[in-house]
Amino acid sequence: MNIPDVIEILERTRTGEVCNVKEWDVKRIPRTIRSKLEKYGLQNRCDPANPVNTDDSLADTFFRAGYELALELGMLCETTERIIRVSEDELASALKFAPSQLFVGTGKDGTLIKTRTPSDPYPMPFGASLGITISEEIWPALTEGIARQREVDLLEGGSLTTIHGRSVLPGTPFETLAGFEQGRFHREVRRRAGRPGMGGIGCISSVTEYGQLGGYGVPGGFLPTDLSLVLFPSELKVSYQVLQKVVHTLNVEGLIFAGSPAMIGGMPGSPEGAILSCIACSLLQYPILHSHVGGGEIYDLRYLSNVNREGLWALSVTHQALSRNTHILSHGIANEVSGPGTEALLLEILVGVSTIAVSGASFSTGPRSAGGKLTDYLSPLECRFCAEVGHAASGMSRAQVNDIAKAILPRFENQIKNPDKGKPVTEVYDLKAMQPTPEWEALYRKVKREAIGLGMPLDDKG
Amino acid sequence: MEDKDISLALRAAVVDGDEVESARLAEAALQAGIDPLLLVDNCIQSALTQVGQQFQDGQLYLPELILAGDAAAAALNVLKPSLLKGGKGGTSKGKVVIGTIQGDLHDIGKNVVGALLTAHGFEVIDLGTDVSPKKFVETAELEKANVIAISSLLTTAMPYHEDVVRLLNDTGKRQNHFVIVGGGPVNVEWAAKIGADGYGRDAQDAVVLCEALLDLVVKPPLKEPLSFGSLK
Repeated sequence: MNIPDVIEILERTRTGEVCNVKEWDVKRIPRTIRSKLEKYGLQNRCDPANPVNTDDSLADTFFRAGYELALELGMLCETTERIIRVSEDELASALKFAPSQLFVGTGKDGTLIKTRTPSDPYPMPFGASLGITISEEIWPALTEGIARQREVDLLEGGSLTTIHGRSVLPGTPFETLAGFEQGRFHREVRRRAGRPGMGGIGCISSVTEYGQLGGYGVPGGFLPTDLSLVLFPSELKVSYQVLQKVVHTLNVEGLIFAGSPAMIGGMPGSPEGAILSCIACSLLQYPILHSHVGGGEIYDLRYLSNVNREGLWALSVTHQALSRNTHILSHGIANEVSGPGTEALLLEILVGVSTIAVSGASFSTGPRSAGGKLTDYLSPLECRFCAEVGHAASGMSRAQVNDIAKAILPRFENQIKNPDKGKPVTEVYDLKAMQPTPEWEALYRKVKREAIGLGMPLDDKG
Repeated sequence: MEDKDISLALRAAVVDGDEVESARLAEAALQAGIDPLLLVDNCIQSALTQVGQQFQDGQLYLPELILAGDAAAAALNVLKPSLLKGGKGGTSKGKVVIGTIQGDLHDIGKNVVGALLTAHGFEVIDLGTDVSPKKFVETAELEKANVIAISSLLTTAMPYHEDVVRLLNDTGKRQNHFVIVGGGPVNVEWAAKIGADGYGRDAQDAVVLCEALLDLVVKPPLKEPLSFGSLK
């Protein structure tokens, strides 16, 4: 085993090749990616007419190019403006010894995340929601509402921007306190929902390292059996803020869940370029960030979404490449843009989550209702639908899911640029009775029946 | 090289994002006696407009957009003394200080907005990421910027937006600068809540917003923020 330990990675942030952020972003990343695309003949391979890839050899070629890219580029430490590179031996060792399964949470409420392959019948675990801003007064009931959805495997919950009515200022004691309070609320909510051992993901309100230091692995906060969220900037960049979270999580013997989206239209350029960046990023987080799980997020910069054709295709190729060639526990996000109470949101979930599940991702989190732009625009019902789709699509063939995507996409793709924001949770969900409004439930039933009609084995009665 | 050839080559260098060649050709154009104002309008601005449109259409990507902006800035630096000498130094539409707010390291959205503003003729001072409210205000004052543009992707970094406005108010500088906000989780309601002057949903909206603000006859702050691209 030749995996660089944390202190060695920290040392490389001080001794690696000097490169400023701009040089990295606008020259190193695009030029190196372009050269790999050319070398492997991967330019212009995106097939918008078939958003879910079914070509194994194409996925494998992307993997080889992405692996080579990882070794050539490494990751940039923004704080010191030095490149952290790993050797082929180190990368191979890190991937070899990466977990192939991980139990998150405790006891009967916990969830086993394990290596999956395309069309794997093991139901892809689903965590809800993403970090959508939620008012402090609504957060406990809404998060409990999500935890009460038995189909949802892991609980993340929305972001808080106030604690005790005060703004959470990043990098200050306000954030340290917010991290702790969110961890405390999180455990209380899981207990109230009757799932005290449910796996959690925290801490979404930790912008800098302060929230994580205050809330993860400390008495009363998030448990070391929960996932510690370590997000890092695109493309292939880390910082001391990010590495602080890594060190802290390892110190408390926690579980590192790292992630960073590759951006179609951003520094990697085309969908093909974003796939390479995403694969390299997914692989490098194992030796550099000592990830337990993570890797595989791609968004399209034009829409801040990925439920468009190019985004879905890139997601499908990336997860197929990773799951066919490694046993890492990759993670995918379907980035929806429409809001609660709209049919479009359910259709976006249907297409996005099924693409990720059938392509072999080990788990997924979501939804990003209303693109995550609006406070309180999130309801438990779409969280449940995400999980149902994630479970049901596992085991389907990629061709089947491709057919569903082709049938459904024309219904919402023209609205991705200007989506319907829908309604806040208070208008689509009764948080006292823990029930959706009849209108929202009727839409959910309608889309579910439609998905069943298209061949997705969802439970019509559930 | 003939005048027309120099102009065409300069335009091409900006489109190609070649900083060194743009500066060299701008110098050559001045030596050849070409009117610098014509170079700005016909070569640099038109090149940036083309690149901006190709970015919008998905034909070019962010690195090309940023490099074209850099190449244009390099050429403008060479031309600036001549423009000023001829009393034509005010070719910029206005000055914008832009950055990602304190606690947030995400820079892609901010980079796109900065590059498109440059492409549309604004002078952009990019403070990078994790920028403190104090730094925003100090730089805006020093540079006499018309607009402070604050970006953030993280909801939890947004409270610092308010601190920029508060600092301007508390130091008596609010009337000197329009404040605009944008980024993934930001919306017009937030802009109104913190007393900002404008919100744009995407980079193109931010350009239209800055143009609209600088067309106003009133000084900041506005009673209600101008908004472009808000969700239905």
